[in-house]
Amino acid sequence: MKRFKTVLFHTIMLFLAFLWLYPYLWLFVSSFKPSAEIFTKVVPSRFTLDHYRFIFTMAEKMKRPFLRAFMNSLFITTTVTFSVLLTSTIVAYALAKLRFRGRGAVFNFVLFQMLFPGFMFIIPLFVLIRNMGLYNTYAAMIVPFLMSSWGLFMLTQSYRSIPQDYIEAAKIDGASTFWIIFRVMVPLSKNTISIVSLFTFIGVWDNFLWPLMVVKDYSKMPLSVLLATFNHEYAAYVGPLLAGSVIQTIPMVLIFLVFRKQFLQGIALSLK
Amino acid sequence: MKLRRREAGLGWGILALYLCYTAVFWGYPFVWMLILALSRWRFVGKPSFVGLQNILRIFVDSMFWRVFWNTMNFLLYFVPMVFVAALLFALALNKMKYFKTFVTLSFLVSYVSSGVAYSIVFQRIFSEIGPLNRFLYNTFGFTIPWFSDPQLALFSIALMVTWKFIGYYGLILYSGLQAIPKTIFEAAQLDGASRWTTFWRITFPLMNPAVVTVLILSVNLSFGIFTEPYMITGGGPMNRTLTFLLYMYTTAFQRINPSYATALAIVTALINFSLVLIVRKVVEREVSFE
Repeated sequence: MKRFKTVLFHTIMLFLAFLWLYPYLWLFVSSFKPSAEIFTKVVPSRFTLDHYRFIFTMAEKMKRPFLRAFMNSLFITTTVTFSVLLTSTIVAYALAKLRFRGRGAVFNFVLFQMLFPGFMFIIPLFVLIRNMGLYNTYAAMIVPFLMSSWGLFMLTQSYRSIPQDYIEAAKIDGASTFWIIFRVMVPLSKNTISIVSLFTFIGVWDNFLWPLMVVKDYSKMPLSVLLATFNHEYAAYVGPLLAGSVIQTIPMVLIFLVFRKQFLQGIALSLK
Repeated sequence: MKLRRREAGLGWGILALYLCYTAVFWGYPFVWMLILALSRWRFVGKPSFVGLQNILRIFVDSMFWRVFWNTMNFLLYFVPMVFVAALLFALALNKMKYFKTFVTLSFLVSYVSSGVAYSIVFQRIFSEIGPLNRFLYNTFGFTIPWFSDPQLALFSIALMVTWKFIGYYGLILYSGLQAIPKTIFEAAQLDGASRWTTFWRITFPLMNPAVVTVLILSVNLSFGIFTEPYMITGGGPMNRTLTFLLYMYTTAFQRINPSYATALAIVTALINFSLVLIVRKVVEREVSFE
């Protein structure tokens, strides 16, 4: 009886897991179905790459450059992620390990910044970007996110748990500040760094409202915005839309699978 | 002494990098936010000061109240739904012996779905001819107008967002559950407490920090909904899925009224903030495992 209960329970959980995966499965399978069968057949009569071909060739002729949008997204996202990591790892060192007056006040200011929801600033930030002449440029999607108070906070917390002795020892060996940061602090904060990169990458890749506001040219749009405009203008092109959605989703799922361990640790961290 | 001076110099040198950047991309917008909220401006010329006129106008703006009630309605659907489901998920995960990683990842992968992509997918799955309605029609003989019925549309969006966040919130609750020392449960068992009592008297109260985290996250999320209604309903039918962010966006860029939109943003943030305070006041308890 107990055995039966265990089996039943696990079967139900597996069923639910598949139910949760269903939208993904449906998306993935449908993107390979012939157009006429997307809504009519569960198992298509044949698999086709037509929709992907359309996305990469036809869409170009319709002035909807998906391949370029994918590259734009990749460029913007990696630049921002790299910059957030670089600045956070350096500035956090000053906040966590250097002793001087005013450090606590600056750290409190970082916390204060994190209190404000992002949506409060988007319109004034838009005004700033326009005044700087950056409207409709790549810079508009990158420059406002080069530093992150959340990333800074996470790394400062992580650095604080590293014993001061390590730094003193490195100093006696004649290590420079940057050597200490990149050879001592960074390797000892690998988990936090993975979490910050994962969330920054996903956040920027999936950011929609901001690029929607600051970019007008199809050639400069990130994939999320191009896909959204395509959905509004050509809603009947279901197949290509689903193929585009697959392409938009893949990098996020991949990076999640790579960092899944750190991700799970990150969730436990967020409780403290 | 000299060494400490050098350390301070280095420290401020590094912090200057952050402070300068923040002054431009946080301080400047902050000041502009206050200026815009207190003036009338349409993207050109100089803002003309109007005092509290924008803020006062919000309270007699019928569309604002529509959006306000939409958000309250969304909270009423979303928060209990996602909370109960996430709690059940956490408890089930705690009981699982096999396939635990697979099930966890299946539920979590929805959390990393792209807002635009999953809106496109759910729009098709829930559409008139989509697989869900076809299944309903074939087995029960009726279909559900998920996104075209004014009352249902908001619920459908809440359902999508729940799909996305159950895994994430569930894992937060799960790690709260794991933090409780096992000895407490053993003691309760020795005292002859039933499982029901154990859960409501011991487990749930001790999970308080995780519960508060999930409630605050879900409240904040409800105030930041934009992509789903923008992609699927455009705020309709009958403005029933118009959210604060969507209203802000259309006010600033379609009705070209950025100053009023900024005032809206401030009021929205205040409502959001007070709701979070209420949640903390009502739910938060001091927890210790002594």
